[in-house]
Amino acid sequence: MPGHLPASLLVQDSDSRPYWEGLQQGELRIQRCDSCSKAVFYPRSICPHCFADQLSWIVASGKGTVYSYTVAHQAFGSFAADVPFVVALIELEEGVRMMSRLLDAPRERVMVGAAVKVTFEKVEEDLTLPYFRLLE
Amino acid sequence: MREPITLEDVLNSRWVAEPLHLLDCCLVTDGGGAVVVTTAERARNTRKTPIHVLGHGEAHTHNTIASMPDLATHQAAVASGRAAFAMAGLTPADIDVAEIYDSFTITVLLTLEALGFCGRGEGGAFVSGQRTAPGGSFPMNTNGGGLSYCHPGMYGIFLLIEATRQLRGECGSRQIEGARVALAHGTGGVLSSGATVILGKD
Repeated sequence: MPGHLPASLLVQDSDSRPYWEGLQQGELRIQRCDSCSKAVFYPRSICPHCFADQLSWIVASGKGTVYSYTVAHQAFGSFAADVPFVVALIELEEGVRMMSRLLDAPRERVMVGAAVKVTFEKVEEDLTLPYFRLLE
Repeated sequence: MREPITLEDVLNSRWVAEPLHLLDCCLVTDGGGAVVVTTAERARNTRKTPIHVLGHGEAHTHNTIASMPDLATHQAAVASGRAAFAMAGLTPADIDVAEIYDSFTITVLLTLEALGFCGRGEGGAFVSGQRTAPGGSFPMNTNGGGLSYCHPGMYGIFLLIEATRQLRGECGSRQIEGARVALAHGTGGVLSSGATVILGKD
């Protein structure tokens, strides 16, 4: 099981709670602006594209590609024992990027543009995190 | 760091986050500094040689690295540099000494490209061949920078201090002879914000 931050350290506020609750239910939720229709991630109350304050939650497909990545060889706290691990910026199909980890990824197959899909890892009773795996 | 560091030392140091080795990463130290800013009129009567702000600019583009528009372009530095050079009425060719924020080696390359010292993707070639080493043709980070001098988490003040000291001729063995115009560029966040200052002496 990959390391993680204790649930008590994660900020769940009115902006982000639907995101965290979605993960518990196996859904990767992002926002879409009611005004300009662009996808928005991370969760927030104002659209960064047009500054409208009406955003709706949608369920992302969970499919995307590797925009960039690194292999972390030094980590801290609950992540320390997991090194080395792949940290990637994932460009979701909906057009937003998120940072996550690639699980079980052979180094020779990790590359910019590689297709990935989300996987949900229950790391605590009340905490599920979205990681990604390479598609075959 | 008190001993010379070779290319092999950097490449042989342990990985931190690929492709950055330990010696591609700035130090973690204590430190502090201050600058006194006043009017040109008042500065005439101070004991220290006055150094003038010829131009400045600042910009902010994103918060998280996932929101950075293009990982290969330091867009905040593009904007802050453009503003600073326009205000000063100068170009990169006019800069005698550059103090460039160097949290990591890549930060410097992206910043040099963004400020127009070289073209996009040319940063690596630009600094190769010892051009930024002591005595090199492009005097840069003459105090050693965050990679070799100190980095207390907020390194930017040392960019201004070193640029000012160079223009005052206070730098002893690392002095850039005849330096009249200096540029200091600070980067904040995760390549999120840029602040450029161009300094000159009378």
